[in-house]
Amino acid sequence: MTMLNRRSLLLTGCAATLVSVAPGARADTGGAQGRKLVIIILRGAMDGLAALPKIDDADIRGHRAALVDPGAIKLSDGFALHSAMPGLAAMYSANEAAFVPAIAGPYRERSHFAAQDLLECGEISQVSADGWLNRAMLKAPGVYAAVSIGPSQPLILRGAPVSATSWSPPVLPEASEDTLQRLLDLYEHDMVLKTSLSAAVGADMIAGSMKADGMGGRGGPAQYVPQLEAAGKFLAQPQGPQIAVVSLEGWDTHIGQNQALQQRFAALDNGIAAMKTQLGDIWKKTAVMAISEFGRTVRINGGGGTDHGTGGLAILAGGAIKGGRMLGDWPGLKSSALFEDRDLRPAVDARSVFKGLLRDQLGWASADLDTAIFRDSVAAKAMGGLV
Amino acid sequence: MSRLAAAIATSRFGLGARPGEISDAAGDPRGWLEAQIRPGAAVVSGEGLLSTQEVFAARIADASMAGPREAGEPDEEARRAIQQRIQREAREGLQKEVEARTRHAASTPASFAERWLRFWANHFTVAARNAQMIGLVGPYEREAIRPHVFGRFSGLLGNAVFHPGMLVFLDAARSIGPSTIPAQRRDAGLNENLAREILELHTLGVGSGYTQEDIVEFAKALTGWTVSGPQTARLAAAGRGGRAPELANEPGRVLFVAPLHEPGARTVLGKVHGGEGKLQAASILDVLAVHPATARLIATKLARHFVADVPPESAIAKLEASFLSSGGDLAVLARAVIHLDEAWQPEQQKFKTPEELLVSAARAAGAQAAFGGAQRQVYASLAQAPFSAPSPAGWADDTAAWSGADAVKKRLEWANAVSRRMVRGLSPTDFLDQALGEMAGQRTRQAVARAESAEQGFTLALMSPEFQRR
Repeated sequence: MTMLNRRSLLLTGCAATLVSVAPGARADTGGAQGRKLVIIILRGAMDGLAALPKIDDADIRGHRAALVDPGAIKLSDGFALHSAMPGLAAMYSANEAAFVPAIAGPYRERSHFAAQDLLECGEISQVSADGWLNRAMLKAPGVYAAVSIGPSQPLILRGAPVSATSWSPPVLPEASEDTLQRLLDLYEHDMVLKTSLSAAVGADMIAGSMKADGMGGRGGPAQYVPQLEAAGKFLAQPQGPQIAVVSLEGWDTHIGQNQALQQRFAALDNGIAAMKTQLGDIWKKTAVMAISEFGRTVRINGGGGTDHGTGGLAILAGGAIKGGRMLGDWPGLKSSALFEDRDLRPAVDARSVFKGLLRDQLGWASADLDTAIFRDSVAAKAMGGLV
Repeated sequence: MSRLAAAIATSRFGLGARPGEISDAAGDPRGWLEAQIRPGAAVVSGEGLLSTQEVFAARIADASMAGPREAGEPDEEARRAIQQRIQREAREGLQKEVEARTRHAASTPASFAERWLRFWANHFTVAARNAQMIGLVGPYEREAIRPHVFGRFSGLLGNAVFHPGMLVFLDAARSIGPSTIPAQRRDAGLNENLAREILELHTLGVGSGYTQEDIVEFAKALTGWTVSGPQTARLAAAGRGGRAPELANEPGRVLFVAPLHEPGARTVLGKVHGGEGKLQAASILDVLAVHPATARLIATKLARHFVADVPPESAIAKLEASFLSSGGDLAVLARAVIHLDEAWQPEQQKFKTPEELLVSAARAAGAQAAFGGAQRQVYASLAQAPFSAPSPAGWADDTAAWSGADAVKKRLEWANAVSRRMVRGLSPTDFLDQALGEMAGQRTRQAVARAESAEQGFTLALMSPEFQRR
């Protein structure tokens, strides 16, 4: 196993900051017993129906034939996994991966900002200054440590001082490919800025910091593998943290999503595999959950993409996960079954899965789960049997 | 209409809206600006910062420690340590000046007055180009520029020229009348630099008809004006065959040293300036300060700053007339700028300089978000470190100078870093509203609202054509 600590990461030129306020705290003295939890936030709203199409649903082709991957790998219950994710498909067969195909938090609007904030702070409508994982760590039976992988401390870990490190790959904080594209669109009628930014992007491509295919680099999918691999390295350290939060940006696929998602799914799949490699034996005690702030529209839009929706997909992986299963009901794709006649109707509350992982994976069986950690969430019961 | 005008008042005339400021200005945008025009509106306390005389006193104390070695003086290693300390303190002093200047610009409710100050400070640029100037740039702006920007142009010109910052920056402090005894004994002489730049940059403008002979004559009239201190005392003593210890007292004062002044009457622009040597330079400056060519130059620069890179003749003509009829009254001129209809067009024609971009972001989002760490480095990364203009002409005031590919890329990298420091709880759309109000167009509003994350939304808002311009 790689012997890697924070110092050696620093020495390789990576930014890491320690936000610990528990002097001399030794991690893992509580109930986790070596178990690890990884939360991956897929920012921008992943199209769950593209990742895991329900290919036996009679209505899927009517809504979005062009977005259903013809090579999708059949799993079970009529679901198939996008062919760019063979690693996760293999994990599913090995009972190390599971999917929640219709999941959402309690939020029902379609703003990325509000949805991500609420997903991370665990609230229903009002964004709080602290994240649910932060509150959970404060209430935990013992001292835990967390690492966040990404350019800034995500809201999910912000709040009262807990032991939390953050790290991001050295190329950040350059703007993502997606941001560049949006800026170029915004500059459509601005010759000064359009000309200069186009030239700068061209210069960067020549310099090799961005791949010539127009994807990758700059915080987009090319960062997924190094970010997930880094999470694995942190968790695998002796006395390492129990919790990692990874932010993967670039899922807002309004146009031409087949090509964009092909690369993102592949990067996510490779990233999870790289994390597994880094974790070694610890993989057996690890649970990974990847989730977006919401899903996308069931119907294809005019640009070969999809717009902001409601019900989305959660991916569970790891040796600790009781895998090979689809979790929660399938609401169906009949127009009458859709939420507001456009989105997949959520069947599972994301907080139920979060609570189930906190309770059963980390051993935090606390009444606070329904009150202080996820306020007013008694109705969203912890999902049992995940691990 | 008045909400758009209020946004224009805060962004184009001011240094960018602070939260709520557009609403404050909405009742009467022009009145909101005019209320900022008053004597002393651009004065700051300078608390915790050094004055010119403190800078000189400290330098002389350092020089006595780090100067040429004599018996019993510190050895080489100790001297080097002292010099390193001096350099470090100079850098730290400059950083403090930059931060104080930024803090004031980011927080002042009178940001039109501060933009007006910055226009004039740039017009009368001095720069921290060497160890001697590093300490003087801050005090110069506070002492020579800030108190005078709403007075008469002649007063501002005189205060700028006769400040140690300018006398040292443009070498006049070392310029000696060529026929004086010290010039002959010390192999020193006339330096035309200050005279040339006053004519070319500060008053008449290049191509306005003055000649090389005018420059030399003006330079001779300026001889004798220097800064008190040991060097000046030694130089003047060379003409007396003795000592002039009084010239070393209270170092850092501007004084006229007659033995260094070129004797005789001076002829500049065809007018003879005779009489007492001490009065010659001021007499010439008085002519230059109200000269029609000066009015034209100032009017053109102001129109360029507030209207467009290539300003319409109508705007230049109005400002020129205001300057001439008021005898160069800068408060009157500031009002004329505010009442230029050409400056209130909805179309944003002015691309923000890096400094304007950073200050407007600090006003909208707070200095911590806008800068993060050491401010001078952030300014420098966008190629505009305060007090460091590349030439006596000051910073460029046109789009082409600041909008190159690498410049825009650097701005994007900066915006991306800022977006990650933004306060939670403020949405990018609210930020856009606070900062730009109705200046933000539909395309930008949509792009920001549809961003895939709050961070991306802030980046798009900061990089929007509307926020990059004013």
